[in-house]
Amino acid sequence: MKARLILAAIIIPLGMIIAAVPENTTKQFRLTANELLEEVKDGTQFLQPDEVADMLIQKDPTLQLIDVRDADQYEKFSLPNSINIPLVDILNPEWKEYINQDVKLNVFYSNGTKNANEAWMITRQLGFENNYVMLGGLNYWVETIMNPEKPASTSPDEEIAKYNFRKGAGAALGGAAVNTQPSTMKKSSKPPISKRKKKKKVQGGC
Amino acid sequence: MGPLVVNEIITENANLFLAFLIGIGFGFVLEVNGFSSSRRLAGMFYGYDTTVLKVFFTGAIVAAVGLLFMSLFNWIDLSYIYINPTYLWSSLGGGVIMGAGFILGGYCPGTSVCAASIGKLDAMAFLGGIVIGIFIFIEGFPMWEGFYNAKFLGSPLLSDIFGTSRGLITFLIILVALGMFWVGEWAEKHFARDDYKLNQK
Repeated sequence: MKARLILAAIIIPLGMIIAAVPENTTKQFRLTANELLEEVKDGTQFLQPDEVADMLIQKDPTLQLIDVRDADQYEKFSLPNSINIPLVDILNPEWKEYINQDVKLNVFYSNGTKNANEAWMITRQLGFENNYVMLGGLNYWVETIMNPEKPASTSPDEEIAKYNFRKGAGAALGGAAVNTQPSTMKKSSKPPISKRKKKKKVQGGC
Repeated sequence: MGPLVVNEIITENANLFLAFLIGIGFGFVLEVNGFSSSRRLAGMFYGYDTTVLKVFFTGAIVAAVGLLFMSLFNWIDLSYIYINPTYLWSSLGGGVIMGAGFILGGYCPGTSVCAASIGKLDAMAFLGGIVIGIFIFIEGFPMWEGFYNAKFLGSPLLSDIFGTSRGLITFLIILVALGMFWVGEWAEKHFARDDYKLNQK
C-alpha cells in the first residue's frame, strides 16, 4: 500500500514532465569536433586504390563510387559505375539519400585526396556513416592501377604480388590508356587476384 | 551516446557480457519477488495475488520514463532501439496459448527457469513442456507459417496511432498502470484465500 503511494509520488510527476516537454527529435548523432579530430588522426576514412579496384573487379554490389569533381571533369573521365556529386553541391537535399544511408559503402574520389576528403569531413560531421575516401584520388589511381611501376626484382614478394594485382586490375579496368568511356566496365578476363586483405568493416549499423 | 554497442562505445562482446549481468539481475528480481512460486503466478488469474501485474508494470513504466528522459538528455538515440515487429494474428494466438499455459502450469517461460534453478520439480516439468512445444512448433511450421506471418503491421507505436507525443502516451500509461495496481490490491482483498498468505516467505 505504502510502496504504491511512493511509486505514484515519484512516477506521476516524472510522467507529467515528460508529457510536457517537446520530444527530442535529433535523429542523427553529430560528431563533436574532438571526435572528428580523432577520426582524422586515425585516417580510418581512407581506402587504398587497390581495395577500390578489387571491389570494382569483384563487382561488389555494396560499392558506390562518388565523383566529387565538377560535371565537366566527370564527363571526361570517371571510374566505372560512379555517380557525380560535385563538392559544392554536396548539401543539396537531392543527394541526401546517397550520402546518408546504411546499405552501401560510399567512396568519394577527386583528382587528389583533398576534395574527396572535404566531402567526407562534411558528411561525417553531419553524423553520416559508410562514407570513405579513395586515398590519392584519380592521380594516384592512374599512377598505381593504370600504369603500375614494375618493382625491382629484388623487391619483397608482397611488392611483386601488389604489382601483379595492379597490372591485372589495370587491364580489367581499362588498360594503360585512360578510358574516356566511363560506366562501361570492360569484360576482359579477370586479373590474377592475389587475395588482398578484406575490405574495411563497415562501421555502425545494428 | 547510446545505444552503446551501435555507436561502438563498447564492443559486441562487452555488450553480451552486460546482457549477461542484466539477465542475472532479472532472474534475481524474479526470485526476490517470489515469482518462482507457481501459486503466486497463478494468483494473478484468480485475483488473490497481483504481484506479477505490479512488478511488471512498474518495470515497464520506469523503463519508459527512463528512456524518454535519456532521449531528452541526448544520452540515447531512440531511433536505434529495436522494437519487436507486430504480426497481429500470431501475437494474439501466441498470447492465448501462453496465457493458457501460464494458468495450467503456473509459470511463464522466464519464471520457470528461475524456479527450476532453485530445484522445483514442477518448473522442470514445465521446462520440458516448453521444449516439446518448441519442437512441435518447428516441425509443424509449414502448417502455421501463413498464420505466423499474417497481418504484419511493422513496429507500430501507440503515439503514432493516436498522433500524440510519446511522453503523453507514457503519462497516460502510468495513470492506467497505477489504476490497475489499485484494482489489483482491491482484488487481493476481495478474492483472498484462507490457505494463501500474501508475501509469505
